[in-house]
Amino acid sequence: MENKRMVANEEQRRSPRNQKVPLTDSNGQNMATLFSPRFKSAAAMAGWDEEALLLASLIVEDTPDRDPKHKKRYVLHSKTPPNSSRKRRAQRSPQAPIPVVLDLDAEETPKIDSGRKKKEKKACVENEGKKACVENEGSKVGEGGNESKEKNPGDASSSSSLPCIDKLRDELSCAICLEICFEPSTTPCGHSFCRKCLRSAADKCGKKCPKCRQLISNGRSCTVNTVLWNTIQLLFPQEVEARKEASALNSRQQAQNLSPESAFFAYLRNDTQPLRVASSRSTNSMRSGTTATTTTTTTTTTSTQENEDAALARMLQREIDEQRSLGTTRTRLARLRARRGGRGVSTSQHEDAALALRMQREEFMQTYRGSSQEQSSRLTSTSLARENLRAMASRAMNRRR
Amino acid sequence: MMISGGGGGGGGKSSWSSSTSSWVPTTSVSASGKRIQREMVELNNDPPPDCSAGPKGDNLYHWIATIIGTPETPYQGGIFFLDIKFPIDYPFKPPEVVFKTRIYHCNVDPDGRVSMGILKDDWSPALTITKVLLEVRSIMTNPDPYNAVVPGIAHLYSGDRAKHDDIAAEWTVRFAK
Repeated sequence: MENKRMVANEEQRRSPRNQKVPLTDSNGQNMATLFSPRFKSAAAMAGWDEEALLLASLIVEDTPDRDPKHKKRYVLHSKTPPNSSRKRRAQRSPQAPIPVVLDLDAEETPKIDSGRKKKEKKACVENEGKKACVENEGSKVGEGGNESKEKNPGDASSSSSLPCIDKLRDELSCAICLEICFEPSTTPCGHSFCRKCLRSAADKCGKKCPKCRQLISNGRSCTVNTVLWNTIQLLFPQEVEARKEASALNSRQQAQNLSPESAFFAYLRNDTQPLRVASSRSTNSMRSGTTATTTTTTTTTTSTQENEDAALARMLQREIDEQRSLGTTRTRLARLRARRGGRGVSTSQHEDAALALRMQREEFMQTYRGSSQEQSSRLTSTSLARENLRAMASRAMNRRR
Repeated sequence: MMISGGGGGGGGKSSWSSSTSSWVPTTSVSASGKRIQREMVELNNDPPPDCSAGPKGDNLYHWIATIIGTPETPYQGGIFFLDIKFPIDYPFKPPEVVFKTRIYHCNVDPDGRVSMGILKDDWSPALTITKVLLEVRSIMTNPDPYNAVVPGIAHLYSGDRAKHDDIAAEWTVRFAK
């Protein structure tokens, strides 16, 4: 009788689709024989009722091959039985508590006499995925393997370093800067370089591919090879990060070094604020003119980096603070414009944010100036300039959109 | 507009350096420095045959290189020293390669300047010093009389190869050993 039922169970196991119907029918009778008393007590302690146990085991049995699949099925099944909170708890965490039961079984099996062994086996059959069962039943080896498979992915993912990483590094290096390509751009002839490097090469060495000297149609409009760039970011995250930081630092430095006097003026501004205010009145009209020009520069040019913009804003402020002749400021502006003009066009959110920031600063500066010059007779010209500025800014914003 | 140093190239130096005593390199300069440093590391890791190169002193932009005369050429056994000067916007401009050791060669002018396509118009930023040295070594084996800077030697090379080789070997013994 016991043997027969075992056979039946085996069959059910092999045809998991049919399994549910007969088992739910014979649920009540089978329970006693299917689970060992200690298992049941442990289950009760864990807050499961027998039906939930059976169901859980069923589902586990259903798809022994793959873990994710099993979980999916489990969710599907969990909708079918009547909802009780205890059941749901059992169903939600089928994996965590079972190993506890497993250990219990493992301890117990050696002590059990031959009469009880079959029951134990069935319990094992029903509960599945337990080492004790694997020891007892040869047919369960597959599940043991399954269990070990479940553990393996963690190990596999941790050892992600590729053996050919050095070759990859060589392959993904830019021939111009000899570093990992940063924002790689691919030429029509199929060679990839950093976008900046390729652009510089096209500017300074003619529009030829640095590798094969084939003509590049237009070195200016080089676009980033997204797939390659993403691959590089995945493979060499540290290098990319380092490069990003370096470029950010560089642009900041560059902006600071652009005008050697700027450091002096920054110092001046920090220490002699009242003095500056006093002296600013005398140069009001001139400055308003300057601001108008600076705004045109900032709004019409496009930049790629936010911090660059911040640096630029700082510079502009300094320039405005500068009590020099308009001529020098103008030349610097020209330089600035040339500098920024050399940069490519890019439309990013950063840019918009930076622009907004700039506008805010300009406005702040304007209002500040306005308050300082209320007594001034040149109010009209300043307000005119302000109006101009606003109009230009809004135009720029609109164009951007 | 040109004095703006706008392109961010090495040209920026001249416009600013006059006004400040402590001039800090701009992006492109440090980029060229980085690239040269990288080349140095790669050259040390994987040196080309019969060649060596490295910075002369503290200056990363001024290197010294040696090429050992290839066997079965008139230059065999000689050790030829070369000076390499990197421009500030290297690798976009070619380095300057000069023989410090006198050499009898139709592509090397009396001052030692090497006349090679890749050091002039055919320069490409993808070329490295390793490749340049290999190219120099290759023209020492196979001079190019059609692009010679010393016509006399080129003429002798194409007309009387044996005599040319004799003189070259003699120079090698006199200057390169």
